[in-house]
Amino acid sequence: MNAPGRPKRESSLGEEVAKRLEGSPSGAPGRPKRESSPGEEVAKRLEGSPSGAPGRPKRESSPGEEVAKRLEGSPSGAPGRPKRESSPGEEVAKRLEGGSISALWRIALASLWSRRFTVGLTVLTILLSVTLFLGVDRIREEARTAFLRSASGVDLVVGARAHPVQLLLYTVFGLGEATQNVSWDAYQVAGTQPGVAWTVPISLGDSHQGFRVIGTTDAFFEHVQVAGAPITLAEGTAFDHVYDAVLGADVARRLGYAVGESIVLAHGTARRNPQQHDDQPFVVRGVLAPTGSPIDQAVYVSLEGIEAIHLNWRGGTRVGKIPALDTLPPEALQPRSITAFYVGLESRLGVFAFQRWIQQYRGEPLSAILPGVALQQLWSLLGTAETALDVTTSAVVLTGLIGLLAVLLATLDERRREMAVLRAVGAGPRHIFTLLLAEALWLGVLGTLLGYALLQGLCLAVAPWLQAHYGLILQPGWPGGGEWARMGLVVAATGVVGLLPALLAYRHSVADGVKIRY
Amino acid sequence: MPDTNPAPALMAKDLVFAYPRRAPLLDLPELRLMPGHTLFLYGPSGCGKSTLLNLLAGTLQPQAGHILLAGHELTSARSWQRDRLRGDCLGFLFQQFNLLPFLSVLDNVMLPCRFAPGRRQRAVQHHGSVRAAALALLAHLGLDGSDLPRRRAGQLSVGQQQRVAAARALIGQPAVVLADEPTSALDADTQARFLQLLFDECRANGSALLFVSHDQRLADAFDEVRDLREWNRATPKVAA
Repeated sequence: MNAPGRPKRESSLGEEVAKRLEGSPSGAPGRPKRESSPGEEVAKRLEGSPSGAPGRPKRESSPGEEVAKRLEGSPSGAPGRPKRESSPGEEVAKRLEGGSISALWRIALASLWSRRFTVGLTVLTILLSVTLFLGVDRIREEARTAFLRSASGVDLVVGARAHPVQLLLYTVFGLGEATQNVSWDAYQVAGTQPGVAWTVPISLGDSHQGFRVIGTTDAFFEHVQVAGAPITLAEGTAFDHVYDAVLGADVARRLGYAVGESIVLAHGTARRNPQQHDDQPFVVRGVLAPTGSPIDQAVYVSLEGIEAIHLNWRGGTRVGKIPALDTLPPEALQPRSITAFYVGLESRLGVFAFQRWIQQYRGEPLSAILPGVALQQLWSLLGTAETALDVTTSAVVLTGLIGLLAVLLATLDERRREMAVLRAVGAGPRHIFTLLLAEALWLGVLGTLLGYALLQGLCLAVAPWLQAHYGLILQPGWPGGGEWARMGLVVAATGVVGLLPALLAYRHSVADGVKIRY
Repeated sequence: MPDTNPAPALMAKDLVFAYPRRAPLLDLPELRLMPGHTLFLYGPSGCGKSTLLNLLAGTLQPQAGHILLAGHELTSARSWQRDRLRGDCLGFLFQQFNLLPFLSVLDNVMLPCRFAPGRRQRAVQHHGSVRAAALALLAHLGLDGSDLPRRRAGQLSVGQQQRVAAARALIGQPAVVLADEPTSALDADTQARFLQLLFDECRANGSALLFVSHDQRLADAFDEVRDLREWNRATPKVAA
């Protein structure tokens, strides 16, 4: 009665309906059932169904389908039995279903282990890409906090009118040059404004062996802080005499200087500088403790010292000798201008009032910047570069995932036998799907965790070096929120990539059934 | 049909199957396999043997007719129900590559119990645990070397692998063992011994044996012999 139409494989709903409409089971004899076999529910229903007993309570889905089947034809008359809605057998079945899923995870693991060399290489690519993906992010975060740390304790930085970022860079970070100076008068007036707790003058322009020389006062060591902690002297004392110098930790370490060393400053900041202030050396009086900030990379001398060694300079060249200090009136060593100054306020609430006062100062055009705000501006300037970095590391992760995909796809064909074996022992196509997806996820999780572990190891290994050279403090620790998100993203991406082999294997297993291709 | 008989382990009736846009490949009036019986189904290649196996396994659906496995209707069940019925009621034994080479012998034998709760239950009922059931079967099949159950299946000889596969087909007492040329990878000596073992274990297990082969020399030992070409009313042009 049934003209052969198309073959039925794993039936879709439509097929299911079609089939039931097409042909009806004939007279299968019922027989007593074992209790709680998993197929029981199915079987009972099926067993009953050949009989044409009307009006049996039916299970959940597609009542129309059921009715259609019964109407279509049901030859023999075994009476139908009413069905329980959910039997203990079903409960057992559900539990064991969970068992088959955990079996799949273990089968996936064993299968991966048997291919551990190729699989290991794949994990390695994922691992390295994750290390890079997380590491770049971590360094960026750390750089940001390091930058913020460097300027802590300073409420405002005041200099000649300039872009806030520029002002911040040449004062706090020793990058670039000031174009204009601030007059001594303006500095003095600013220091007497209401709400101002302290000011620290900064005078730039000279260098020593490539390190910047900062002319300042003892107030610098007193008020400037790093990460909320005051600067401390590791050796010696602060300024005592006009020609005294205090070294940042890096300067002392790299040049091998100790207290008592006599150093010559160079005029200007160029690294190879023919113009030396060699007529008047400075004496190292103290060495600062390391801070992991740009403070470590400068030579500090007294403001008067800077003034004194420039007494005999006119228009960029040295003329004659520096007069002996005791022959000079005290005001001769008072600078006429400085490069910038730091301001500490009695209350942070006064920041905007002071800033407004500076902007409106009539004597000369000045800027007062908040270091934190200027840093934000700096980050937004660097946003494009950061995006490029993100794109690059994401591309590396993508490469790792493509490698994973290649490995999973390459073995798919030869593994059709395994799939047929699994089908034969009762696995459905969805089990095969799960198996392949599980493999991809295992690799993703493993690669991500190992990548994180490698990052931690690297952090531990290079942390001292990074802190010494770049002031970056990389501390191993549990992943932060952003890192969890990134790791989750990688694992999710492996899942997405794993969908392709899983779907292909699903289709294979539907097509092959239990047939093993020899 | 005589109602006094016990329910057949496997019954197929009026099966019709055709691949899309092809003439029917199979049109099989009736097959009835009683529990504990052995049937030799002779089928040269290309006569629709593996299609028939897929139909009986529920991995392919016929256009008409139906199949009952241990009394459970297979053909009208949903696909996941067919998967479960297959796992519960059928033990498979193929020509070769029966095992997952990366799993241990023991894990291979226990595999059906992970997907088929019915077989798991029967194994536990009779032996206390699935593991004990697997070890007992392996011992019956002469595979009880001290470390053998823990060895990786891929390391075994072909003959040993076939016996492991037999143990897997038999664990949890499936109603029917479907064997597809299980001896053709073995040499003549081993063939006879393997067949004898398979018979003994099926009998002890109460499982019916449907043995599909193109090697008619083996047919003598079976309760019943059928030629697929004669049974099949459709006359497929032998091509595949």
